[in-house]
Amino acid sequence: MADFEERQRLLEEEDDAPLTDTQAPRGPGRPLPAICDPSHLLHRVVVLVFMCFLGFGSYFCYDNPAALQTQVIQDLNLNTAKFMQLYAWYSWPNVVLCFFGGFMIDRVFGIRLGTVIFSLFVCGGQIIFATGALVNRFWLMEVGRFVFGIGGESLAVAQNTYAVNWFKGKELNLVFGLQLSMARVGSTVNMNIMGWVYSKVATLVGSPGHTTLGASLMIASVTCLFSLICALVLAFLDKRAERILLKEQGRTGEVIKLTDVKDFPFPLWLIFIVCVGYYVAIFPFIGLGQLFFIEKFNFSPAEARAVNSIVYIISAPASPILGFMVDKTGRNVIWVMIAVIATLAAHMMLAFTFWNPWIAMSLLGVSYSLLACALWPMVAFVVPEHQLGTAYGFMQSIQNLGLALIAMAAGSILDTRGYLVLEVFFCTCICIALIAVVMLYFVDYLRGGDLNRSAAVRNRLQKEASPDSEIKRRPSQLTEGEQARLAPMSAFGLRNRYLSRLGAQLPDHCSTHVSSLAYRSVLK
Amino acid sequence: MAAAVRKQSCGVFLVLSSFFGLSLGLFGGGETYRRQLIVELNPGSPLPPPDGDLLHVRAVGPNDTLHFLFCSLGAPTLLIVHTNTSSSTARVNWPKFEARNISGSLKVEPESSVLDSTAVVFTRLFEYNDVNDTANATSDLFPPYELHDFNWSRLSLSGPSAVLCGAAVTFTNGSLCLQLSVFESEGRGQSWPRLLHNANASQIRVKLEGVLPRAMQSRFMLELQAVGGAYPLSRVEVHRSIDDEFTPSIFKVAQWRSEVNTSSSGSGFLQWKPVAYRRSDPALEDATPCRHSEPRPQRSEETAALSALIMAFYSRAEPFGLNVSFGMAGQPFYNSTRFLSWTALVGVGSPPVDSFSPLVLSIMAVGLGTPMILLLVGGVCVCMQKRTAPPTLAYEPIN
Repeated sequence: MADFEERQRLLEEEDDAPLTDTQAPRGPGRPLPAICDPSHLLHRVVVLVFMCFLGFGSYFCYDNPAALQTQVIQDLNLNTAKFMQLYAWYSWPNVVLCFFGGFMIDRVFGIRLGTVIFSLFVCGGQIIFATGALVNRFWLMEVGRFVFGIGGESLAVAQNTYAVNWFKGKELNLVFGLQLSMARVGSTVNMNIMGWVYSKVATLVGSPGHTTLGASLMIASVTCLFSLICALVLAFLDKRAERILLKEQGRTGEVIKLTDVKDFPFPLWLIFIVCVGYYVAIFPFIGLGQLFFIEKFNFSPAEARAVNSIVYIISAPASPILGFMVDKTGRNVIWVMIAVIATLAAHMMLAFTFWNPWIAMSLLGVSYSLLACALWPMVAFVVPEHQLGTAYGFMQSIQNLGLALIAMAAGSILDTRGYLVLEVFFCTCICIALIAVVMLYFVDYLRGGDLNRSAAVRNRLQKEASPDSEIKRRPSQLTEGEQARLAPMSAFGLRNRYLSRLGAQLPDHCSTHVSSLAYRSVLK
Repeated sequence: MAAAVRKQSCGVFLVLSSFFGLSLGLFGGGETYRRQLIVELNPGSPLPPPDGDLLHVRAVGPNDTLHFLFCSLGAPTLLIVHTNTSSSTARVNWPKFEARNISGSLKVEPESSVLDSTAVVFTRLFEYNDVNDTANATSDLFPPYELHDFNWSRLSLSGPSAVLCGAAVTFTNGSLCLQLSVFESEGRGQSWPRLLHNANASQIRVKLEGVLPRAMQSRFMLELQAVGGAYPLSRVEVHRSIDDEFTPSIFKVAQWRSEVNTSSSGSGFLQWKPVAYRRSDPALEDATPCRHSEPRPQRSEETAALSALIMAFYSRAEPFGLNVSFGMAGQPFYNSTRFLSWTALVGVGSPPVDSFSPLVLSIMAVGLGTPMILLLVGGVCVCMQKRTAPPTLAYEPIN
């Protein structure tokens, strides 16, 4: 059965390949105008627009609580620990879901239906969230964030799958870059506009309060509705393209096998520690940032929101540049170390000085982008390709677990011990990441691993080793039946699934994904 | 201000030189001497005086004495007299003291031993209707509550602290309470703002509880007057502090001192953090910021007329007054919880300065130290390995 499916897909792709290469309209037999022709660039640009806005709503609404921190806390009489629950509830479903999101798209719903369903979750979650604020029921808001979380991360997977499906072998790098920038735009716009929306609604309603908050959040949910429409349009266009071009439905191709976890090498566990230790000091901090800048640095709320969003703003242009730099130089461990130390410095500046927070936050933005570019591709160096899906799924799962726990911890630390101790706590998390990265450096050094090689050495080794051996290995795996399904379909799309939320640019140096994409055509 | 900032950046270096800093933070911290406290209510009076109580706390140190005098005759007043001998006493001429018309009815003897004195008078409580939610008490002021007209209860003592509660005649319910604490040694308050105190300072907590506001959007403002012995307390410095560990989200300390920065033992001070709390058992969201006005000189006779202590002790006072207003624009009004609590430290000498707690210092030391040690150990190990193994094998995989 599996074999058959596999072959079927490969056959379909065989049809697909020459079509897209020649860019000639086929199917109905009559020429279409360029904008309606799925194989034409102009049409793909139209698709790209919808693709970019597909994730906009989710990114816009994710940081709604951060953008309205003071208002949420005041209107609903919350303490900070409760406020941070809103972030924790977003993360909880993803502790489990990042193992299954890809599976559900591939095996259960298909990309089109899957995208629409996840968009519905996002939209519904945000509306429940807003309703909870309208009727002043905090538990309902938490339910809303939970539902929103179910849709949010998986929607990112779907978005990337669409991108691979439509732009594979063409403008894919650019498309990923654009999607990323769009995500950042969503976050940034949210940070800077929600306060204004709230004040406008407040004048309309008459006074601030939970009604005003709910109404503002309802307005924010329009972006999710908009994204839902994008999902529907994309489904239609994709269906149409399938009919015209006879191409297959996109797949994430990720395979999760939990028993692989016991085979994970030691460096991978260190990478996990770096990942968790680092990101828990970023996202919960941004969630709490606004009031911090108001209270410690006497910023106006608008200014505080602006400085809080600088991390996102910087990461949009910095990610491609830094990604390119890391690709060209290699030595990922050193880059990760630099990023972690820079972040530690930024947090210490925020904790122990009154220096203008623009300095620290900009440094944080750059180092955050650098880390994403250097850390995530490292996974591909330490695990075999068929375990990549599990490794990334696991990495994101414990990251979400860490985020949920630390978000709650950060809230209650702030409530009882204040910002200094909170910042020291974040510094500790970064220090743990630093310890892990130092250990990673030595472990990798002693094992003679690939992680810290320069790009030149990597290329040389690649040329010597990869093509023959991998082609040899591959057919033997296919004959193993069940095992064949575990073979990497696209580690590429997989990796990018995570990178989009985390701000990393596509690691195009990484030969593994190129080869995994190439496999299908090699094996036709 | 600049000095304060410099002090803080010094703090950073302390942290950076972690272990060194740890030891300093643990064992530094200034004056750790103790004082012996002797509490006396209405000293020398045969009967409890009918109009109000006078509390006298002698805080005897190895070679000096602080006299804390707290009186509810007239407007509540705290007077601190610093003497350079451990055997000084306070003497009250009760008939004259209660008559409240002549100076010199309260004396600290021997008079030559008096180094300095500082007094704080709580004079008025303002209430204003903040219709536009600006927290600016420019208009809409209700007639102020005069604290010298309050009906004050008897002082209730418990150890070295005393509570004085009172209400205006027009209060239907609720009260204004002042809680005075005097300390034997260095320490920190139990509840927020958890001010650091030493044996040279006393703490006053002002609570406005359950009072029916005269408007739905009422905010309150407290008028204080301070009298300095040698020099008037004429300016308020606001220091920024990066350390909000004990008063979460408050990064400022206000100090009301005399213009002349006399060295060490001389002048008195008031120190407070610009925060009030809207619940008796506050959480972070119950904190409400305070603002203060610039100190303005007041008429000496008026202050003396308000307070029996000032009249009795000072022949010529130079009072300065300021207002502390509770709440900022956008913050909930008094009516939401009907509770306000504000705390200040009144003492002599140099005001206590917060420093990083051992917890913070040790966490940073361990957090920064471990990677450093790891780097060193790892580096040494790698060097050893390189030396023992042939160089060509250095990159060979182990497994």
